Amino acid sequence: MAIPIPPLTLSHFLLAIITIGLGFPGLSANPVEFAREIRPILSDTCFKCHGLDAAKRKGGLRLDQKEGWFTPREEGTLVVPGKPRKSILFTRITHSDPDDQMPPSDEVRQLTPLEITKIRDWIRQGANWQPHWSFTPLRRPDLPKNDNASRTLGPIDRYIGRRMAEAGLQPAEPADKATLLRRVTLDLTGLPPTLEELGNFLQDPSHHAYEQVVDRLLSSPRYGEHLAVDWLDLARYADTDGYQDDEPRTMWRWREWLINVLNDNIPFDQFTVEQLAGDLLPNAALEQKLATGFLRNNRVTGEGGSIAEEFRVEYIVDRVETVSSVWMGLTTGCARCHDHKYDPVSQHEFYSLFAFFNQTPEPGTYRGLAKPSLKVPTRPDQKRLREIEQQLSQSDGDQRQELEEDRKRLIGRTPDTMVMEDSQRRDTFILERGQYDQRGRKVAPGVPSSLPPLPRGVEINRLALAEWLVDPEHPLTARVTVNRLWQHHFGVGLVKSSEDFGVQGDFPSHPNLLDWLATELIRLNWDIKALQKLIVTSSTYRQASQPSPAARQIDPENRLISHAPRLRLSGEVIRDQALFVSGLLVERIGGPSVKPYQPANLWNEIAGPTTSAYAKGYQQDTGDALYRRSLYTFWRRAIPPPGLQIFDGPSREVCISRREQTNTPLQALALLNDTIFVEAARGLGTRMIRAGGENQKTRISHGFQIVTGRLPRSEELSVLLNSLKTHQRTYLDDTSLALELVNVGESEPDPALSAPELAAYTAIANTLLNLDEAITRP
Amino acid sequence: MNPDPFTRRLFFRHSGIALGSAAFASLLKGEDKVGSQTPFPHFPPRARRVIYLCQSGGPAQMDLFDHKPELGKHFDKDLPDSVRKGQRLTTQTSGQNRFPVAPSVFGFKQFGQSGAWVSELMPYTAQIADRLCFVKSVHTDAINHDPAITFLQTGSERPGRPSIGAWLSYGLGSLNQNLPGFVVMTSATKTDGQPLYKRLWGSGFLPSHHQGVRLRGTGAPVLYLDNPPGVSRTTRRQIIDDVNAMNRLRLKEDENPELSTRISQYELAFRMQQSVPEITQTGDEPARTWKLYGEDARKRGTFAANCLQARRLLERGVRFVQLFHRGWDQHDNLPRDHQRQCVDTDQATAGLILDLEERGMLEDTLVIWGGEFGRTAYCQGKLTRENYGRDHHPRCFTLWLAGGGIAAGTTYGETDDFSYNVAANPVHIHDLNATILRLLGIDHLRLTHRFQGRNHRLTDVHGRVISGLMT
Repeated sequence: MAIPIPPLTLSHFLLAIITIGLGFPGLSANPVEFAREIRPILSDTCFKCHGLDAAKRKGGLRLDQKEGWFTPREEGTLVVPGKPRKSILFTRITHSDPDDQMPPSDEVRQLTPLEITKIRDWIRQGANWQPHWSFTPLRRPDLPKNDNASRTLGPIDRYIGRRMAEAGLQPAEPADKATLLRRVTLDLTGLPPTLEELGNFLQDPSHHAYEQVVDRLLSSPRYGEHLAVDWLDLARYADTDGYQDDEPRTMWRWREWLINVLNDNIPFDQFTVEQLAGDLLPNAALEQKLATGFLRNNRVTGEGGSIAEEFRVEYIVDRVETVSSVWMGLTTGCARCHDHKYDPVSQHEFYSLFAFFNQTPEPGTYRGLAKPSLKVPTRPDQKRLREIEQQLSQSDGDQRQELEEDRKRLIGRTPDTMVMEDSQRRDTFILERGQYDQRGRKVAPGVPSSLPPLPRGVEINRLALAEWLVDPEHPLTARVTVNRLWQHHFGVGLVKSSEDFGVQGDFPSHPNLLDWLATELIRLNWDIKALQKLIVTSSTYRQASQPSPAARQIDPENRLISHAPRLRLSGEVIRDQALFVSGLLVERIGGPSVKPYQPANLWNEIAGPTTSAYAKGYQQDTGDALYRRSLYTFWRRAIPPPGLQIFDGPSREVCISRREQTNTPLQALALLNDTIFVEAARGLGTRMIRAGGENQKTRISHGFQIVTGRLPRSEELSVLLNSLKTHQRTYLDDTSLALELVNVGESEPDPALSAPELAAYTAIANTLLNLDEAITRP
Repeated sequence: MNPDPFTRRLFFRHSGIALGSAAFASLLKGEDKVGSQTPFPHFPPRARRVIYLCQSGGPAQMDLFDHKPELGKHFDKDLPDSVRKGQRLTTQTSGQNRFPVAPSVFGFKQFGQSGAWVSELMPYTAQIADRLCFVKSVHTDAINHDPAITFLQTGSERPGRPSIGAWLSYGLGSLNQNLPGFVVMTSATKTDGQPLYKRLWGSGFLPSHHQGVRLRGTGAPVLYLDNPPGVSRTTRRQIIDDVNAMNRLRLKEDENPELSTRISQYELAFRMQQSVPEITQTGDEPARTWKLYGEDARKRGTFAANCLQARRLLERGVRFVQLFHRGWDQHDNLPRDHQRQCVDTDQATAGLILDLEERGMLEDTLVIWGGEFGRTAYCQGKLTRENYGRDHHPRCFTLWLAGGGIAAGTTYGETDDFSYNVAANPVHIHDLNATILRLLGIDHLRLTHRFQGRNHRLTDVHGRVISGLMT
């Protein structure tokens, strides 16, 4: 029998190129690996009808597990190793009769010739079945040999080097020191290095210079502020409730907790347990209870007419989905209505997870904030309150009254933060089709059977769930966590779909490296900073970002990391950097959210003054609040901060584990024209004049170096010099224009500088802040 | 080229960030380039452009289009249980001890050759009845505004999914080089009523450049479009020239596609500073325009002005224009407030249809009018002969379509005598969306994007193309 593989059409040919060229370069079709190449095809084309979902399963055939693959069935054996034509799997997908061919002809997703060929090759090669990689137990893989004697290679570099060598690629040269310093400083603190830091690093020839920089950055309080942003996206943190009228709420104390513990570097297992079940810890401290605010950051509705139970169910579904995604890289949401089509999570198991979060006395409809909630004074306030307690015992009269008033003031300014509390026992039922009022069978709290069991002899509650997640035997948590850290430093995770480690997710580019890092994180007792230090001190991280011609050809996506990625900075970092280089940044950890500049009338146009909280529209702050780091910007979910949105910020309505990086004209307009960037340009212009020496060349070079970390080349310098002269003429000719420009923003321009001169340098600084280099992590 | 449905999806799946933006760069080069990369359209398109006139709040079908003389016989009588069938209600009226029927106070007449019933509230729309296809049997799932309007615009009650305009931008790309492919306008002069949310025109899990760009009714028409005080257009040109000159120097050393995209985006930004204000400067419009759209159209930020801008945007190659008009949520004082809503919208809506027709654009433009749900036949609050309120009603409501591929002068679907249940030919929101995509040449089953392990569609796992709406 001839194998009826259709002839390759042009599009199939292009597809083949795309698949080969962009998938996993360097690995040809032979030998075919089941987990990497075959399961994804079957999952995408067959699991819908031949998977876990028993209700939708056709012909009693299940392809998502090994049982039944190799044992004879009535119509033959599904897979006979070495014999594709004896294997029903193969004969059905190549059947000439459309009635017998799989997938059925009315399915949109059909197999491509390349996929059919792969399945054939895999069976021919002996049909070696493998379980889905992410559910397999985590074991520390052997390190590849150091096969490059000319370089000292750490574990990361050996894994990366091995794959690169297989593809015939060489690593790029080490990045120059200035580039490296800018890269690591932006990655770890979200701000660029100062010229002084740059000078010190360039002048320090010692072997330890770089490591010392890394240590300095990891212990900077800016570290926690920067790392918090990734977690705020995952935690869907916002300052409003997110439905309909989108009323304000105060969850910023939880955000401040987050920044503090990231800076304290509490181990990730503790970080996990406190956020998921801090309230259930024995003798839980106030801050441990506060940590559970993570679970209350979801949207809630207060819309009139809403049915409370319908929405209470929504909130718990959101929690199950968020926790599954953040810790396990699992998309459990599908199983709310039916067994998961692809991953081993049944509907029953979904509601078993649901049961853990179903014990809190939270109302179904409310605006902004509702109980259970807690007042937890900020750390400085706690300290002061302790002092007051002590002083009270030794004071009387006026002094005592003063202290008591102070205490009242400190407690009075402490906001309510929503937290978890298991004080309302509820039974949990499977909800048919996910509907709040369609109760089915009763279920007990539990975890999916495809994962290790819960510990024995403990109460089965959120605390047990949290401890189960960070058990070293859990196959997913450490993998998912190191992958996100990798994503933080390389833009793309080793598993690209950092939110999905299921069978429909992406296969890791370097499975052994991922597992090595995961075991290393556990070995390091979940020390996140130590793991990051390992990453940023690797040669892989320290490469130049220039791709070789071969890399461009073979691996245009740079999945093999043969050079460092260039990454466009996030909206937060772009704004913070502008504030920093202009000298405007006001650094202060934590506190309530602030309302910096925003185009007038933006809120009213979309949502109107619907509730008393929005009666006056957006009430912009003044003074210091305008210049705080961007993570403190008031986040209204219905209308998120426009400057951050334009640079691909999420809406914070749902948990997001990676942001897009787009490149649009609206970004250009924001960087050119937004008040904060113009005001920052004036600040930078002032610095150029004040500290850049006496002549135009040195001043321009000074500004250029502040922004990019390097000195301009002569061509660049001449472009800017010519334009400076033009701008000077423009603003000397029209001083009123100059005055308008230097007065943009609420901070005062330097009165000692002439307006036309400052305006001209402002225009140059505006140019500098718009350079690709300025908004790129090199 | 072989219309292999997977080429594009796989292309996006495998292409990641770098090629994603490269693809966007090509989108900006106009439609031809996109066509050569993608298998779309799946069918010959009947419409190339869309104007979606979203009436937020839930217009009352029985006061506007769904004429129910039977209601008059039941004034202040309870809605029969056989009609209500114990279906769920919002908690705004579920506690009422009575559900008294409130007949419409407005007179209805038949119009045009089609004999469509239109209430006296919509005299202008009545005149164009023969150009419209009324769908009386639309139904939806949610009974509250937020989930319902999110569902209408994204096919999901929960946030995180792309809006219909973003799907079209993703599937079909842009038709022009100077403006975004998907533009949104809200009636800025109408600041009361249900709030809107950015997710209604968001890109969800699609790359964020597919989200709608809002053309604002106040301030700079596009955020950050205007140069700051003290920066002239000449100076701005100089700064962009310098930025691009230096970015080009970098490009010589590093052939980074992101960098060349960035250079073209700065040029596009500069062109937008010119092209966008032109849309709002309507001084070149002939006298006929004001006759069609009404004098309100001269006032920036009104629904009428937005209708006019929608036509001007379409003329300049924008593919999808979405208008939102708030304030249709009449739980009380419906007769008074629906009348106001109609005064604000009726003339310009009809004017827009006529204007498109006169310019030869209606034949390949799809126009959609409707809200997130309808309203109840029974009264919320106090019922009198002259006054009543109506609660949200998702089980049936009226929406109309016009333009390319639409069966003009027809009515599709029927409701029962109380306009409470669909009596024939139901059209679910997923069906409506499947049909909209089909009119644009897209098979709703094949416009997919992989996210969280699933190939998502605008219509989720539902949706039927309703051929009865099409010619």
